[in-house]
Amino acid sequence: MNPIDDDTLRAYVDGQLDSAQLARIEAAMANDPALAARVARERALLAALRGHFDPVLDEPVPERLADLLRAPATADAEPAKVVPLPARRSGRQRRARWLVPAALAASVALLAALFWHGAPPPLVRTQDGQSFASGALRRALDTQLASAPAAGVETSVGLTFRDADGVICRTFVHRDEPAMAGLACRRGDGWSLPVLVAPASEGAGPIRQAASALPPAVRAAVDARIRGDAFDAAEERAAREAGWR
Amino acid sequence: MHMKNTESGSRVREELIHLLPRLRRLARALTGHVDDADDLVQLVIERALARASQWRPDGALDRWVFAIARNAWRDELRARGRSREVFVPEDDDAATVADGSAPPAQRLALAEAMAALPEDHREVVALVLVEGLSYGEAADLLGVPVGTVTSRLSRARSALQDHLGSEA
Repeated sequence: MNPIDDDTLRAYVDGQLDSAQLARIEAAMANDPALAARVARERALLAALRGHFDPVLDEPVPERLADLLRAPATADAEPAKVVPLPARRSGRQRRARWLVPAALAASVALLAALFWHGAPPPLVRTQDGQSFASGALRRALDTQLASAPAAGVETSVGLTFRDADGVICRTFVHRDEPAMAGLACRRGDGWSLPVLVAPASEGAGPIRQAASALPPAVRAAVDARIRGDAFDAAEERAAREAGWR
Repeated sequence: MHMKNTESGSRVREELIHLLPRLRRLARALTGHVDDADDLVQLVIERALARASQWRPDGALDRWVFAIARNAWRDELRARGRSREVFVPEDDDAATVADGSAPPAQRLALAEAMAALPEDHREVVALVLVEGLSYGEAADLLGVPVGTVTSRLSRARSALQDHLGSEA
């Protein structure tokens, strides 16, 4: 009889074998205490994992999660509509520490657009009512890799990904004055800025965090747009070589 | 079309309610942290509802939702990887285990062993060993060949056994 390798034995423990293979293992185990001991060891691990995680199934589901699924909210019918900020905030749901619904992102983007419209900083230029990266911000978006951050640069690029239309978008944080963070999406040879926020306006939190972490509104905007995974280091580099097409 | 979206939305909403306990279990296994897990679940619910029209009712909702969870957690880790250069979240070393029946020492050892795994190994442990997906289902979800799933699983198991071996 062929010896039973670890993979087969583990597949047996995982219930992934067909009945013929199953019968073979069980017959072998009956005559081979060492094999039976290996199976017992694998089963013990499985039992430890289940014993660790299965109690979650019996925990009461936190209200804030159940609430999301309860009454069919109007937002369901019109997911793109902007929900007024105060209404969102006054809800008794605990807000996730790193999550903000897309609707909030949309409203923040709107605020940001209004905010920047009056006096666009040199890193942002406005054309036909839309914001575009310029100057050092545009250079950073063109050249910087999140996987190889340049030292001493005020702008850092975070995630790079493709949106539902296949357009490459990149998140950025600019730490120097005027501090801002946002989402840039490729438009022609430049970068349009559908989301632009002043991190300081993000509210509570240590200043260092506000200045360096990606604001929740930007993350939410990413969540709303991303298709598939964010780029890894190799994909990011390849995208730069391809001119972010 | 509008009608369809609303229909699939309420269908997904309904099925998600039943899936919530499992989704929370998967999130706990992926994140190893009670609060992170529920934050992740919240994001997954929001995404799933927003993308309800993309779900084909003939496909299993659990795998569709688990894929959303896995991708969202990957994104979060990536975003954290960058922010960690500058600051460490205050609750980073908060306890990772919930109340449960297993002895505290064993629970802690398992939590540590899970935390020590590379992310792609932890994913297969969560999907196959905790959630009970088949190797093929996990491979589809992760977008890798079945052989990759089994080899990751095999290495993850050895690492977990090694980590727990000293306690047993």
